[in-house]
Amino acid sequence: MKDIREDIAWAKINQDVLKSLEAPRKLYWVILFFALLAFGFGLGCEVYQYQTGMGVANLNNPQVWGLYIATFIFWIGMSHSGTLLSAILHLMHADWRKPIYRFAEAMTTFSLMTAGLFVMVHIGRLWMFYYALPYPNDRGIWPNFQSPLLWDAMAIFTYLSSSVLFLFVGMIPDLAIVRDNMHAGWRKKLYTLLALGWEGTDRQWRNFRVTYLTIACFLIPLAVSVHSIVASDFAMSQQPGWHVTSFPPYFVAGALYSGCAAIITLFIMLRYVFKFEEYMTLPILKKIVRLTFAIAMIWTYLNAVEFASVWYSHDAVSKDVLIQKMTGNYAPFWWGMIFCGSVVPLVFAFKRFQTNIPVLFATSLLLNLGMWLERWMIVAPTFSHGYYPWTWDHDQWPSMVQWGMVFGSFGWFTLLFLIFCKVFPSVSMYEVKEMVYHRTLHLKKSEAAEEGAH
Amino acid sequence: MIDSGIDRRDFLKVLGWSGAAVALSGCGNTSIEDGKETVVSYVEANDYMVPGIGVYFNSTCAQCDAGCSINGRIREGRVLKLEGNPDSAINKGKLCGLGQAGVQHHYNPDRVREPLLRKGNKGEAISWDKAYALIAEKMAGVQGDEIALLSGGVSGHLKVLLGNYLDSLNTKNHFVYEAVAPGVVRAANQKAYGVEMPRYRLDKAKVILSFGADFLGAWVSPVHFSQQYAQFRKGVDGQRGVLVQVESKMTLTGANADRWLAVKPGTEGVLALGIINALGTAAGEVADLVKEYSLVRVSRETGVSVSQIEKVTALLKMRSPSLVLAGSAAEGYAHGSQNAAAINLLNQVLGNVGKTIEAPVSVPFPQMVPSKGNTAALKKFNDGLSAGKYKVVFSFGANPVFTAPGAFKFKDNFAKAGFKVAFAHYLDETALQADLVLPLDSALEDWGTQVPEYLTEGAQINIQQPLMEKLHANTRGVGDIVLALLKQKKSEEYKSYEDYYAYLRSALLQNKGALGGGGADDDTFWTDTLSRGIVKLAGSAVGLTGHQNVAGLKLPAVAEENEHYPLYLIPGVTASLRDGRHTNQPWLQESPDPLTTIVWDSWVEIHPKKATELGIVEGDIVEVTSRTGSVKAQVYIFPGIHPEAVSIPVGRGHDAMGRYAKGYGVNPFQIMDAVFEVETGELAMHETRVKIHKTGQRVLVVKDEGAAGALQMGRKIASRVSTDQIDLSKEV
Amino acid sequence: MSVSNLLENWAQVRHEHPINDKPHDPYKWAMAIDLDACTGCNACSVACYAENNLPVVGREKFQHGQQMHWMRVERYWDEDGREFPDQGFQFLPMMMCQQCEAAPCETVCPVAATNHTADGLNSQIYNRCIGSRYCSANCPFKVRYFNWYDYPTTDNVWPAEMTQQLNPDVSVRGKGVMEKCTFCVQRLSAAKVVAKGEGRIVREGEVQTACQQACPTGAISFGNLVNPESRVHKQWEAQQVVLDKDKQEKDEKEERAVLRGYRILEELRAYPSVMYLERVRESAV
Ligand SMILES: Nc1nc2c(c(=O)[nH]1)N[C@H]1C(S)=C(S)[C@@H](COP(=O)(O)OP(=O)(O)OC[C@H]3O[C@@H](n4cnc5c(=O)[nH]c(N)nc54)[C@H](O)[C@@H]3O)O[C@H]1N2
Ligand code: SF4
Ligand code: SF4
Ligand code: SF4
Ligand code: SF4
Ligand code: SF4
Repeated sequence: MKDIREDIAWAKINQDVLKSLEAPRKLYWVILFFALLAFGFGLGCEVYQYQTGMGVANLNNPQVWGLYIATFIFWIGMSHSGTLLSAILHLMHADWRKPIYRFAEAMTTFSLMTAGLFVMVHIGRLWMFYYALPYPNDRGIWPNFQSPLLWDAMAIFTYLSSSVLFLFVGMIPDLAIVRDNMHAGWRKKLYTLLALGWEGTDRQWRNFRVTYLTIACFLIPLAVSVHSIVASDFAMSQQPGWHVTSFPPYFVAGALYSGCAAIITLFIMLRYVFKFEEYMTLPILKKIVRLTFAIAMIWTYLNAVEFASVWYSHDAVSKDVLIQKMTGNYAPFWWGMIFCGSVVPLVFAFKRFQTNIPVLFATSLLLNLGMWLERWMIVAPTFSHGYYPWTWDHDQWPSMVQWGMVFGSFGWFTLLFLIFCKVFPSVSMYEVKEMVYHRTLHLKKSEAAEEGAH
Repeated sequence: MIDSGIDRRDFLKVLGWSGAAVALSGCGNTSIEDGKETVVSYVEANDYMVPGIGVYFNSTCAQCDAGCSINGRIREGRVLKLEGNPDSAINKGKLCGLGQAGVQHHYNPDRVREPLLRKGNKGEAISWDKAYALIAEKMAGVQGDEIALLSGGVSGHLKVLLGNYLDSLNTKNHFVYEAVAPGVVRAANQKAYGVEMPRYRLDKAKVILSFGADFLGAWVSPVHFSQQYAQFRKGVDGQRGVLVQVESKMTLTGANADRWLAVKPGTEGVLALGIINALGTAAGEVADLVKEYSLVRVSRETGVSVSQIEKVTALLKMRSPSLVLAGSAAEGYAHGSQNAAAINLLNQVLGNVGKTIEAPVSVPFPQMVPSKGNTAALKKFNDGLSAGKYKVVFSFGANPVFTAPGAFKFKDNFAKAGFKVAFAHYLDETALQADLVLPLDSALEDWGTQVPEYLTEGAQINIQQPLMEKLHANTRGVGDIVLALLKQKKSEEYKSYEDYYAYLRSALLQNKGALGGGGADDDTFWTDTLSRGIVKLAGSAVGLTGHQNVAGLKLPAVAEENEHYPLYLIPGVTASLRDGRHTNQPWLQESPDPLTTIVWDSWVEIHPKKATELGIVEGDIVEVTSRTGSVKAQVYIFPGIHPEAVSIPVGRGHDAMGRYAKGYGVNPFQIMDAVFEVETGELAMHETRVKIHKTGQRVLVVKDEGAAGALQMGRKIASRVSTDQIDLSKEV
Repeated sequence: MSVSNLLENWAQVRHEHPINDKPHDPYKWAMAIDLDACTGCNACSVACYAENNLPVVGREKFQHGQQMHWMRVERYWDEDGREFPDQGFQFLPMMMCQQCEAAPCETVCPVAATNHTADGLNSQIYNRCIGSRYCSANCPFKVRYFNWYDYPTTDNVWPAEMTQQLNPDVSVRGKGVMEKCTFCVQRLSAAKVVAKGEGRIVREGEVQTACQQACPTGAISFGNLVNPESRVHKQWEAQQVVLDKDKQEKDEKEERAVLRGYRILEELRAYPSVMYLERVRESAV
């Protein structure tokens, strides 16, 4: 199996990566067009909903939350991919993360931006959203610090700003490379500005390392907390099916899971679109796949824990909700979630599939679907089968407007990503060089050892 | 319940419009006629008009004939909300949902605003002068008996004035029609008790055995009966009253019963006689009559189990006095009179007459007592129309094109009349067929007096007065119209009355003494009367006959199974929609039917057993076919109905009457057969037989109830307890 | 505008269990509803529409479950397997906001648009609400109603003539805000102002909610639970239902069911201010 070549010239690395910033191929435009189309559709839905009222989403009393919240959680979950690869694996000195962490980090930022949009389209009075922020005001009115929704708002803002910072700081040496290789023009000015005068001096490198490490350390608890807090939106409530102690770890596991699945998907796509076969190699993919498998099993276990604790508790109402999920109108989706989330990843257990690109691509899409279904199955059934039987409603099917915005969000995400890929180096050049260097050292060492044995 | 007076009302004196106030009533009123607000200064406002503070006027509810008194809250010249007038013995400060929706009758956006003259298929707005001239013109040379008037129930001074007008026209053709009225029960009561409507004392009864009388929903005087019912449930010495309801389709009253007995349609009389027999206390003629009604036979014919009949009988024996009621479900058959007679006989055997059945008081002004509507009158009118007898027809207060049974072909017959004048609030189905439509003031803008048919504590005249200034400049009170028409005939006699208000005032003042205003001067008496909204009269009790009259009481054999039309069609009369004259009030459309929780639509009620048999599920659109016609509607599966019956509520299915009524639901009157009660000639509303079949379509039933239906799923939500577990006497 | 302001403000908004650290005085509004008196007639519900400017949403929106009735008249029939509901239905009139003492809806609102008043009401500030609907999600009784559309401007809800009926004492809600039964707070405020002017507290019977006023059978009692003279107080006391208990002592006893008073979903510790009295059925028939 082909891995990154140790003898690859550093100049070649620069050249390969910088190529991705040049005028795009036709395929790029095609994807961009569809992304715009999807985003435009979602935008149209929001304009319509904004003007007419939330009712067009076909939510009702008391089925007040729907796909917006489910998809919000989905995107928040997605955002964990970047943090996982850049921060956690960085601290763990996993070298193989280096060629791919950059785009994963971008994913983090963009999926948070997408998630934020869902909060906006969900609330009834979008134009008053700032009431939820603790801004100083003459009237002395503060938001309710007791509400998990408020923690949510704060956690997401913090996470988003930290992620942007992390992404940017990690990119500085590369931005300098781009600056140095760019013809004069507005782009050169941009990179000059962003590179912050990077010269690659020892002092700069030392400061850079410390800063990067600090942010990484800061980001990890943040990532864990952000999804725990999203979990609290549910766990802190009193509703059957939500009032579950294991929700925070369950949500974090789900987040990492969907993050990993998304990384596989994007990895394969980027590898193909930008011809990054040289850097995004199969051994790296294999490592991600194994990691994904491990997380899938953790997620499955936590699921089982949740079901078991509900089943053996004396909480008849929660049990009702669980039974309803398994057998009611939502059953196809619920079983779909179980299938995609717990059965499909078993494919990863087989060595021969761990590097089989078509299989991995298809599987990763299914995992993403499963994770999206998971979020929907957390939100909807509790509403339709809560404490008060009179208000049960098993047919609360989301309207086209809701689906439109879910669809549109993928367009929006793709759009951001496509723009990013053309403006910023989506593979970290300096870290790949480091990696190659480490390997050469390693190689030399083993060669010397071999010689000594003679 | 808080029975004490309400302080608010003490410092905000309840007011009455004086003539001067009417002239001044521009205060704060908004004329929306031309889309502009008429802002009126408060500089000259009456001293009671305090901006931001409500004032209260008493008047009379016109939403049904029960005659509850209303107390309307007015602010800045607009009526906002109706509550009950606590001084009325009928409703003691309460109103039903239908009554409260009266404001939506007043503010209804689909009211007729101008006199309309038919031009082809359209109405052309004309002036009142032109309209009156046209009537005079059409009337010229027409014989008295070629003129007919169809109206709903009328009473009070309007009745007097109408009578005078009809006299001046030399006609006796006044047909008083009510689509849903206890016509047969009235006749049976007359026979049994000597009065059409005795006073039922639910509050004194220890057991009520009701044969399909929906006294909590739509029967006679529901608000009054509901209040009595509350007393009855509290009981004497903490012994709670027991309600047993016998009917083939559960009514609201049935839903509140301690025991609801599903009886085979039409066999109510059989059960009554069976109970008399089981009581074993009857002697002589009565004993002879009932002796063949053995428990086994009665159980077989009615479908009520022997043990259940025994239990009811034991209860009636043990707890006295009781009260037995014959309602619309008992009277709705060809042998309705016999059913009602049997039920009344049970009352007599139980010795309830004089105890829970009391004598009503007489009204000292017999010319003002209500003309009671019935369906026999409609039949007569329809026959006349069909024979082409009438050249000029007036109609108001009824909507026969909508409510006449399909078999009457009323709409076609109505077209045969020469010139049709409708006084109307809305373009309902009947007004749409008229040649001239005269727009009426709403009940909250109009003057009037009313005498309720069902009097409670004593006789009373209800006053109806405007609660605010007219919303539309060109509507008229029905009294004003009749007066104007009368002036065409007898101008000398009536010229001193500028309008109906003047007529009413003078008529009441003339009888000041008899109306309890002996000492007061005219203005004081008048203002007091208006502010009270009720004139209480000293009436003497009418004698009741308590003798057990069994002459002619013979129940027919139980109806055979009908092969082609196997099911009974039971029209459901609901508390909020009644015969459909208020269906265009959106609060009522959206107020869930208490039993099914369905809104904005009609449904076909079917027992689960029957539904399984026919392979029908909730929401299936079925075609219900009678000999007369068919309608298609959604199915609601409901356990409170006899498996041999289906029920469709009446009141919906309008194809006119404005945005809130038109196009919602179906009209079961359309498929009603022309079967009549044998003795009285009233329409037998429960005799239509139907068959149903699936059309293959299915809809989502629009209702308040959720997916769990009527189940509580193990939660303690609406809980209950049986009497042997509880001691009510210690309760607050 | 400062942290001290924030902390001060916060202390005002949130305290421990309301009854413990801040006993209700002089008012705690509460209800008692007698299911045995109620006939399920719906008059109360219509009264609420009339008093509180509730929009009639029409057939289509009702079908989508977007109805706005602050109060539901529910009816139950729990007898599976029987041919007929031969003991009638169980009506539950008035499932409306239970004005919980420890309201689950309040804690979760991100902007504190729904909170507790000094006289024990769960209040709703329309202008403050951003429409997150979290409160509804967390209300066990599901009695909160969201303005899915702009009803005041949506066709057919209040055509020009109908707007004249609107009660000027009650705001007409625009789109995107949550609403629910307020215990007719406008009536309570008016009565309190009058009483305050006269230097006393509101007397028993001086104020009625619209639903209570309408109810023909007098099934609804409403009043000040703190006032020992009030009917509501006497009823709660006689039924041994205590506001801040999630398990009533009487229910622990062997010979229960002697008393009819209960609160719905009491075990969730929301401490509802509405007590229901069980419907009674005759055992002899
Ligand atoms: N007789 C007399 N006339 C006077 C004066 C006087 O002393 N005596 N003073 C004069 C002077 S100085 C002035 S400033 C003017 C004031 O005259 P206006 O401006 O007419 O003042 P108000 O009558 O206080 O308020 C007008 C309306 O605004 C409504 N309103 C209250 N809050 C709001 C809101 O938030 N939005 C909207 N849309 N409406 C609201 C109120 O209900 C009221 O109906 O009067 C002048 N005229
Ligand atoms: S029963 Fe209802 S509709 Fe009839 S008069 Fe009384 S309040 Fe009005
Ligand atoms: S009933 Fe629901 S809305 Fe009302 S206070 Fe309790 S939790 Fe809040
Ligand atoms: S809908 Fe309004 S009141 Fe409810 S939680 Fe959201 S902001 Fe608060
Ligand atoms: S108390 Fe007032 S707001 Fe609450 S349900 Fe009754 S009428 Fe409606
Ligand atoms: S008005 Fe009274 S009797 Fe009627 S449903 Fe409401 S609580 Fe029950």
